[in-house]
Amino acid sequence: MTAAGIHRPPPGAASDPAARRAVAPLRLARLYLVSRRAPAALGLLAALGGLLWAGLHWHWNVAGGAAARQFLPLVIETGTAAVIAVTTYGPFGEPERATGRWLPLLRLGAAVALTAAAVGGLAAGATGGYLPGGTLAMLRNVAGLTGTGLLSAAVLGGAFAWAGPMAYLLVTEGALSAAWTTPWVWPARPPHDLGGALCAALAFAAGLVLITLRGARVSARE
Amino acid sequence: MTAATDAPVRPRPPRTAGAVPLTAVRLLRLELRRNAMPWILPLIAALFWFDSYRPSTGMPPIWILRTFWNMGQGHAIIDFGPFVAGVAAWMGSRDGRRGTADLVTATARPRWAMQLATWAATVSWAVGAYLVFVGVMFGVYAHQGLQGTPPWWWVAVGAAGVAAFSTAGFAVGAYFPSRFAAPLAAFGGFLALVTSSQTGFSHTSGWALILPTNSNGNYGADSGIFYPYLPDLPIARVMFLGGIAVAAAGLLGLPARAGGPRLRWTAAVVTLAGVAAAGTAVGLADTARPGPHGMVIPALHDAASDRPIPYTPACGHAAGVPVCLNPAYGRYLPDVTAALRPVLDEAAGLPGTPVRAVQVAATYAADQDVHLSPTAVIPAETIGGSPPVLRLPLGHLNLPGAFGSDQPEFVNQLRLQFVHAFVNAGPGAGTAAQQSVQAALLQGAGVPFAAQPKVLAIDGLPPSGPPAPDGPGPASGPVYAAARRLAALPAAARHAWLAAHLAALRSGQLTLGQLP
Repeated sequence: MTAAGIHRPPPGAASDPAARRAVAPLRLARLYLVSRRAPAALGLLAALGGLLWAGLHWHWNVAGGAAARQFLPLVIETGTAAVIAVTTYGPFGEPERATGRWLPLLRLGAAVALTAAAVGGLAAGATGGYLPGGTLAMLRNVAGLTGTGLLSAAVLGGAFAWAGPMAYLLVTEGALSAAWTTPWVWPARPPHDLGGALCAALAFAAGLVLITLRGARVSARE
Repeated sequence: MTAATDAPVRPRPPRTAGAVPLTAVRLLRLELRRNAMPWILPLIAALFWFDSYRPSTGMPPIWILRTFWNMGQGHAIIDFGPFVAGVAAWMGSRDGRRGTADLVTATARPRWAMQLATWAATVSWAVGAYLVFVGVMFGVYAHQGLQGTPPWWWVAVGAAGVAAFSTAGFAVGAYFPSRFAAPLAAFGGFLALVTSSQTGFSHTSGWALILPTNSNGNYGADSGIFYPYLPDLPIARVMFLGGIAVAAAGLLGLPARAGGPRLRWTAAVVTLAGVAAAGTAVGLADTARPGPHGMVIPALHDAASDRPIPYTPACGHAAGVPVCLNPAYGRYLPDVTAALRPVLDEAAGLPGTPVRAVQVAATYAADQDVHLSPTAVIPAETIGGSPPVLRLPLGHLNLPGAFGSDQPEFVNQLRLQFVHAFVNAGPGAGTAAQQSVQAALLQGAGVPFAAQPKVLAIDGLPPSGPPAPDGPGPASGPVYAAARRLAALPAAARHAWLAAHLAALRSGQLTLGQLP
């Protein structure tokens, strides 16, 4: 193995410096997304959308009342939030933080793009049948749950960021059974409820701000 | 240079007998220190408090009721399972994620042995934390003076469940080493537990009894008070969950890189043994039938488990009649005597009036229809024997604080069931005349006519008045009209009429038109 040829530009790369500058941001974004396993995440989000479609189409349901009917879509929405949250995990740690000038923007862009992809995938899955609460409630729930995932990424680290949405789901289950009405348990609120929407949006915004500015916590245990 | 050839050959030092276990212990200690499980434990502790302990505090201070939510319905497992599965998947995927799998495979120890050390450390953390959290919760319960005995068998089921989730998660991580293994293992665990919970709500028999969150018809009544918890079903569940854990651990040793042929054969045998244990447990659960003290699995049942728990009753008096309860229910003695006093006063001197009231054990049945409804299979209060004795299965009633019930509801249930038994109405509403006399006696005992339709509905009885689509309905119609006439009579006249007509009323021969 020699170092010969490492100065050669990669095949297909633009030879003109101006053109190279133009494609550099795109290349950076692509490399960032690959390092965060975004393609795999997109595949999983599509699979979860498919799972929702199958569940609604074939009327998979758990016994019980309205709370129980709401639960299967909610578990799937939580799954999408967990997948998005885990993409915040970066394997490079300090070197990336020290050299990555565009890192905050890349973090923000990736989180927003994956959330949009999750909502799109679930909206497509919702065509399989009747989705309790409709698309509006799904949008609110995914945004809020993703917010909890991003927040837990900042606190627990990207590797364990999935624990936030899962813990929130467990709390929601108890709240749905006990008929709580606090807007902080937004899945228990009606789709057009302003308080629930505001709380979910606040959680999403807080998660985005924290993950953009600080990134996921890096722990030696990971 | 000849030193090498001239040097005497040194014999290989003999392997010390304890070297391998010592190395294994060192490896386990290293894995325990480097494990990620402790990181998630504070979150699990918070969820355990919120979801397992907090809802139980409103229940009456009796072990079987306090632990109904966290042990019977398996919420302790729900709080642990998905999270430990996720972290175990992270630990299982470690070598694959870091690209060190080849490096580890080339070491002196087989890869399966290395993985088992990581697995053992992960499961130890998870199960250890479960036992500590449950131990602390039970310690708090004991400090609160709970009555009865703790459900130790269900604690064992929970520990086996946590081990099964951890091991399954670890196997997922080992086979699919990716950052997404952890959330997917947790997601799968949550989906499995939710499905298990909801399936349990609709299945009281058959294979679904194996599900660790199914309390339907197998966790309640007077277990741990009048008789011990039957271990049959918990043993089958431990076998099932343990089998899953063993099978998942065996799966780790199947790939070619796991070790030599002998080791892989061993892994295959271990996997098959786990699958066989889990399958056998499902089969055993399918043979379970409800006995008076819980679910009986003939192949696992030990007759010694049926022996009643001895006790010295706590006694009081209601209208001069001794009332004796199990000491576990001692705190409800004032409520019971207060509930029975007015109805015993009404019945005093009439034939069939009990001379004594004793609490009897509440028993299990195929369905939970235990009150007075026409399909009831377990009797409510009964009056029988010579001299007549009132038998109170208090374990079938909703004690104050249990499942949304309160003290007035408890008292009204006791009064209704006494009067229902006194007029010999049997399962179901009884004849119109019996319903009418029942309503009049309840009115005299302090349960107003207007409140009676709700009390009847709570006990599973059809309304004595016109039915209503969205509630118990009004206290009107011919039955209540006759009851109001009877209740309007002076006490002495009502008493005399009852003395004259009670036999006909009890035999069902009296019609509504024959009431005064």
